[in-house]
Amino acid sequence: MTTISDPHSGLPERVRTQVNYDEPAIKPPPLLSVGPLAWMRNNLFRSTFDTILTVVFALVSISIITGLLTWAIQGANWFVITRNLRLFMVGRFPVGELWRTEWMALFIMFVAGFGLATYRAVSYRIFIFAIVVVALSFAIPPIVAATTPPEYSLLAAGNTEVAAGTVTETPIPELAFVGQAGEEITISYPTSLGDDARLATLSGFTDRATTAVINAARNRLAQEETTARLQERLANAPLTEEQREALSAQLAGIEIPPPVTDTLQVNTQPVDIEILHGETLDVLAQATLSQESESFSLTLPDDGWYILRKTMRDEGSLAILEARNIEPVLVSELSALDVRYRSMTSDFETGARRPRIDGLDVPIINIIDYQYFGKRNFPEFMKLYVAPLLAQLDTPLLFLLLATGIGYAASYGLSRYSPPVYRGQLPLRVFSILFLISPIVIYILLSAVNTSRWGGLLLTFMLTAVGIVLSFPIGVLLALGRRSSLPVVKGVCIFFIEVVRGVPLITVLFIANLMLPMLHPSLVQVDAVLRAMAGITLFSAAYLAENVRGGLQAIPPGQEEAARALGLSGVQITLYITLPQALRAVIPALVGQAISLFKDTSLVAIIGLFDLTRIADSVISQPEFIGARPESYLFISIIYFVFSYLMAWVSRKIEASGSGAARRF
Amino acid sequence: MVDAAPVANGVSTNTEPIIRCINVNKWFGEFHVLRDITVDIYPGEVVVIIGPSGSGKSTFIRCINRLEEHQEGKIIVDGIELSHDVRNIAAIRREIGMVFQQFNLFPHLSVLQNIMLAPMKVRNWKKDRAEAKARELLERVGIPEQCDKYPGQLSGGQQQRVAIARALAMEPKIMLFDEPTSALDPEMIKEVLDVMKELALSGMTMIVVTHEMGFAREVADRVLFFDQGRIVEQGTPEHFFQNAQHPRTQLFLSQIL
Ligand SMILES: Nc1ncnc2c1ncn2[C@@H]1O[C@H](COP(=O)(O)OP(=O)(O)OP(=O)(O)O)[C@@H](O)[C@H]1O
Ligand SMILES: [Mg+2]
Repeated sequence: MTTISDPHSGLPERVRTQVNYDEPAIKPPPLLSVGPLAWMRNNLFRSTFDTILTVVFALVSISIITGLLTWAIQGANWFVITRNLRLFMVGRFPVGELWRTEWMALFIMFVAGFGLATYRAVSYRIFIFAIVVVALSFAIPPIVAATTPPEYSLLAAGNTEVAAGTVTETPIPELAFVGQAGEEITISYPTSLGDDARLATLSGFTDRATTAVINAARNRLAQEETTARLQERLANAPLTEEQREALSAQLAGIEIPPPVTDTLQVNTQPVDIEILHGETLDVLAQATLSQESESFSLTLPDDGWYILRKTMRDEGSLAILEARNIEPVLVSELSALDVRYRSMTSDFETGARRPRIDGLDVPIINIIDYQYFGKRNFPEFMKLYVAPLLAQLDTPLLFLLLATGIGYAASYGLSRYSPPVYRGQLPLRVFSILFLISPIVIYILLSAVNTSRWGGLLLTFMLTAVGIVLSFPIGVLLALGRRSSLPVVKGVCIFFIEVVRGVPLITVLFIANLMLPMLHPSLVQVDAVLRAMAGITLFSAAYLAENVRGGLQAIPPGQEEAARALGLSGVQITLYITLPQALRAVIPALVGQAISLFKDTSLVAIIGLFDLTRIADSVISQPEFIGARPESYLFISIIYFVFSYLMAWVSRKIEASGSGAARRF
Repeated sequence: MVDAAPVANGVSTNTEPIIRCINVNKWFGEFHVLRDITVDIYPGEVVVIIGPSGSGKSTFIRCINRLEEHQEGKIIVDGIELSHDVRNIAAIRREIGMVFQQFNLFPHLSVLQNIMLAPMKVRNWKKDRAEAKARELLERVGIPEQCDKYPGQLSGGQQQRVAIARALAMEPKIMLFDEPTSALDPEMIKEVLDVMKELALSGMTMIVVTHEMGFAREVADRVLFFDQGRIVEQGTPEHFFQNAQHPRTQLFLSQIL
């Protein structure tokens, strides 16, 4: 390093020039942090204020998360999701035509994979992550099945009526269930149900009568508790005479019934049980269970229906039995003639007719009558909800992953092995072609099914995709029109843009739905989905136009001047110079718009379309899922979030890869 | 005002002028920015325009390719008079290349695409021909290796050389330069001036607005001095730099030399 001072500065001779021949050694930078403790001190607890903020935020988030998880694992009824997955995904799309949506999804993922590789947007490492996810979805259900004990159901036997609050229930003597050859059924007679406190803590799948027993016990315990509290206050608290009288009157009003275990004689008397073959009605096994007896087991000989018959000899008594491997039956009605039955936690399914005795259908253990009661633990949660959900998703996920991977590999292969004349541009061209033909492919696949059958995520996706794709050219034209020098064109564009932007989407949808048919008689036939698409497209176009206009305005005037000086015409300048730059600059805004459109399509629920949100609302009107509103809405929130986040993530990646706005100067 | 006829340096005075400006006037609102500009420029001539800031230099050369409209007088380029006729304007712009202070390269196109765009879209050349021309020009301005880069990846001097190549790709008869080196760091000015010198030697008609007096001395056939929208003085560089007559010219030269 050399420092030469100004020779005219009048400094003493010896400092006029300074030469430094030392070469300082090249050193690595000092280590900034040493271990997690130092990191915490530097980042979390730097000052008192930081510490308070850290602690407050941590406590709030921990309490929210634990609250949510506790509810999700112990209390929530996720059957509303696992049993309605198809409705959520495609609505009432005909089952026979589902292959269309499947191929569509595969095609889209193929194009997406191709695009990701073409734009070098993600590294192959993302696939390792996806492979792990898919592998887990295959691995978890069998692991759960192997490690958690079979579900047990609590089944009541007896002839007495059980009253709990306003509800009265009588145990059902005969129940039909679905079983598989080799499966072992175990029924035992719990001996420790001798008091109400024990009854109140029972949990598991329960029939209605058992539920009533448990509820009755809980009610009585609650009343006992209230009485004890009131007595405690009367005895110890300083009270005025009036308060004392009021409390006494309240106490006198409470009538504590005798213990449920006594009135119903719970599990004191023996029960006769028989297991019948569902078709032949042969008795396969027979036993009498009592406090002294061992539990009873039977290995099922065939796949199909069985009947459990339980009789109590003694009038006026009641028994609660624990049955393992007798699970609620899920019914799926493919059509009026083709009904399939499946036991809840296995894939085994039977289409055979339900068993009949004396010309009457034997009641089945279905999910309506056999709700889960009480608190679940984590293994039960995994077994009941997570495993069945994953079992439904694993194969579709695998195929989607494969499609994406093939697309990725195809683009990669093209760029590596394409003839040199394309100079690496071949994947980009193929991708453009794929991108352009994808609407046609989707149209060909889906147009065979009437749009009134579209629903769920499929409808939401189609509304968004059509809205964005069609509003793009319209929005660009509007933006150019707004900058036009022709006053009429400019005026019409401004009027349209401002009017649409000044009106809520819901109004635009109503107008599209109700007023479009009034404009011209032939428009009556345009179906509701197309009308919604039209409304969404126009709405989105107005916003897009403003985004694009912003992009156009951001282009330095020198660009247009240079193009004019080269002799390009106005149209050519727009096409080759200003518009491409404007669009690159607004990619983030466009993606943002796609995301908000994706969410805004939920408004079509109001004009009667069964999009994701409306499906979430309609599944909870099924009798077994009344009250499962939080579960249903939480689920679609997750879907909305995952897709929105994915869109944002992909656009960030594409931008960062340099194909977007990043290439400016 | 000294009426110096265009002088030698391989420039024939007998031929028709390629640019004729006759009493050109222009206003920006109330502001009279060009006042009675009358000047003829001959094929192969290199004309350097100097003058204080705001004197109308840029406005004048922008009028020549109709980036600005003049309101009075006549501008005749290569026998075509500039008018509102769009075809005339298009025809003239094909013959005139322009290089800007801020380069104005198209950032979304690669260097090669920047150069090939106009020949392909305006002159309807085939891609092969345009690309061959583009590569030849990049060779000529000394940066053949940069052809696949994007403007944002080049230095200022390289960008300006690409801009020159882009203008030349249209095979213009006239080149306009508006302060081509003013936005450049000192060490890059030379590489651009060298390209311009080479262009001048090849016989291109050039009008150059610049503050590079060295370039004016060495290359110009004629120097025009603008002040307050008028051509105050013009002449050969020798005359102009050693023997300026007008007090404004003398003042200007004393300030910058
Ligand atoms: N579009 C415009 N509208 C109004 N006034 C303008 C416009 N363009 C330029 N002017 C004004 O006209 C005058 C001449 O501008 P011009 O750019 O031609 O000057 P110049 O000689 O090139 O100056 P410089 O050396 O600073 O580039 C200036 O006073 C400028 O402010
Ligand atoms: Mg200027």
